[in-house]
Amino acid sequence: MKIKKIRADAQALLFLLPFLLVYGLFTVWPMIKGVEMTFYKWTLIKKMDFIGLDHYRQVLRDREVWEALWHSAIFVVLTTPTMVALSISLALIANRKSLLQKFYRSLFFIPSVLSVAVASYLGLFVFQPYTGLVNSILHLVRLLPEGAEIFWLTEKSLAWIVITLVTLWWTVGFNFILHLSAIQEIPDEIYEAARLDGASDNQIFWKITLPYLAPITRIITMLQIIASFKVFMQIYIITGGGPLDQTRPIIQLIYETGFRKNDLGYAATMSYLLFVILLVLSALQYWMNNRKGAGM
Amino acid sequence: MTVAALLMAFSLALSACGGGSGGESSSGSADGGKVSLSFWTLFDGGDGANMQALVDEFNKTHPDIEVKNTKLVWAEYYTKLITAVGNGNGPDIGISHTSRLPDLINQGVVTDLDAVAETAGVDWSSFNQNLLDATVVDGKHYAVPIDTHPFIMYYNVKLLKEAGLLGEDGKPVMEQSAEGFVDFLQTLKEKLPAKVTPFALSNTNDDPYRLWWSLYSQLGGNDLISDDLTTAQIDTDKGVEAADYIQKLFKAGYIKKNDPDFYKNFQSGTAAIMMTGVWATGTWESTKDLEFGAMPIPKIFDQEATWGDSHTIILPTTQKDDEAKREAAITFANWVADNGQVWAKAGHIPSKPSVLEKPEFKEMPYRSDYASVASTVKFNKPSVKTAQIRDNVSFKILNEVWADKMTPAAAMENMQKGVQKTLDE
Repeated sequence: MKIKKIRADAQALLFLLPFLLVYGLFTVWPMIKGVEMTFYKWTLIKKMDFIGLDHYRQVLRDREVWEALWHSAIFVVLTTPTMVALSISLALIANRKSLLQKFYRSLFFIPSVLSVAVASYLGLFVFQPYTGLVNSILHLVRLLPEGAEIFWLTEKSLAWIVITLVTLWWTVGFNFILHLSAIQEIPDEIYEAARLDGASDNQIFWKITLPYLAPITRIITMLQIIASFKVFMQIYIITGGGPLDQTRPIIQLIYETGFRKNDLGYAATMSYLLFVILLVLSALQYWMNNRKGAGM
Repeated sequence: MTVAALLMAFSLALSACGGGSGGESSSGSADGGKVSLSFWTLFDGGDGANMQALVDEFNKTHPDIEVKNTKLVWAEYYTKLITAVGNGNGPDIGISHTSRLPDLINQGVVTDLDAVAETAGVDWSSFNQNLLDATVVDGKHYAVPIDTHPFIMYYNVKLLKEAGLLGEDGKPVMEQSAEGFVDFLQTLKEKLPAKVTPFALSNTNDDPYRLWWSLYSQLGGNDLISDDLTTAQIDTDKGVEAADYIQKLFKAGYIKKNDPDFYKNFQSGTAAIMMTGVWATGTWESTKDLEFGAMPIPKIFDQEATWGDSHTIILPTTQKDDEAKREAAITFANWVADNGQVWAKAGHIPSKPSVLEKPEFKEMPYRSDYASVASTVKFNKPSVKTAQIRDNVSFKILNEVWADKMTPAAAMENMQKGVQKTLDE
């Protein structure tokens, strides 16, 4: 028996090997190497001097770092609740029996297949002044007087709105599918029973649908928080982090430090700071999930 | 996305560690008499085609040397060059902007050329002194400049005529002074339909910064850092005056606010004048129905000066230091500079005054109208932080001034702090 098991394990290992090799070489090893980098002055080409914990001391005091982290946090706060609400709403719409059911499903999912660059440039074209879609429509319906323009991309708060809208539109598809499949798994009998008892649509949504969606919603929320903390590309393309770095997320700062200032050691330190933050968040979520699971 | 950036960081770190073993730099060497050279360039579009034409012509006329041109994407060029040279896989010949040179020298990416230039018989005095000086660091030549691409002014001939501002000689009628230029723009604004932009200019980053740099230098400002390159030293009064002048151009509505595409604005004939680098000349020429002229930017303040940079040819550090290759490489570099008339097709000003006298150059329109600018280009001091100061400090802060969210005085104060911080890092 034992030999059989070992053989099975060996076989499994053989099949896993190609992945493990790549994973080890390009994920695990660089992560270890990254830790080493934080202790050195390390340029784009070479290891320079050992500087101990200097980078860690620097990162804790660096205003730019905390500002960038704050911007990433703003992005998380802006996109996570809206994403969950939007995803549930779209799932509800697409779940209703109607002729357009299939159309809705593809409509809501299609943006997800775009690459980040395509989605962001579409956002740019839609929101740019003079020729952009939004301003043109506003001009057309006379909400915006002749000669006036709304500068969506260069005003800080408007830029955040644009970034949030583009991100929601572009990434909601995947969460929408998760919510839709969860909705479809809710047994019809429960709804029937509720209707017989005279429950209103409102009550059905709040007391049945939403609680049944809770587990998947928790997962989506967690994934969304982690993914949002790692935001970079759409902001980089849409605002470049501006105006005056006021929308620059932490990943952009890491990128600029590493590849524009050639300071890989410090960039690695910031990456690990972000890593720790995400780790704490994940642990918190895990702990809360477990507690809830035990209570149910 | 994010993951990609991190992966890149990691894989770069990896290749940096593993690089020591991979000793072969580029193919072929001096055996069999023919020297084969790898050449990395960052040019695309018209520039890319012109450089390829030069390489082909050189290979044809030099049977004992073969240059192989590899075109890299501009945005990642320097990162790739630095990492490749760092792990011993760099090219034999490379391109660098003059402004990038000090950083590359500091990182040990480029070699000095004095010895090999002497062997190959390169005559440094045949270059424009202003361009050449900017490539000399600590008394050593590090690069062969092949052009300069300064900030100049273009004008739409039809629109200027319509506004009555085109002289008999086909040149704009404008008094070269601070008031003169504003009057010129005011007339354009009054005389031309409201849809026409008097002055097409980007609202952010490069071009308005270049205008500011030009005016700051015209006032006598001398870069943002001290001569010993260690401290921020902005001539505040001059910086404020230049920024204030430009901010007023934005506020007065001469420049279209947040123009999403100022190139297209001029290209489609809806802007009377525009300022940008000379590389636009080739683009305007190939635009149908665009009647335009080119000239140095006006002397708005005390002395003529403009922003500019140069493309230079460099010999990156290689593992073998093959003398035959280096000699062939600098021969190529010098030959490219000698044949600047081909390179000038895109609009650049050749680096050797002798090229300006060639009939092929003189036959091309527009270029001669602004070739004199080469001597008034105000280059940066040779600081390794030049690009960082520009990208992370000047651009960002001045953008706020153009958007009227910061006063010129506050901007200079912030820049002084930002420059110092960048220098200290």
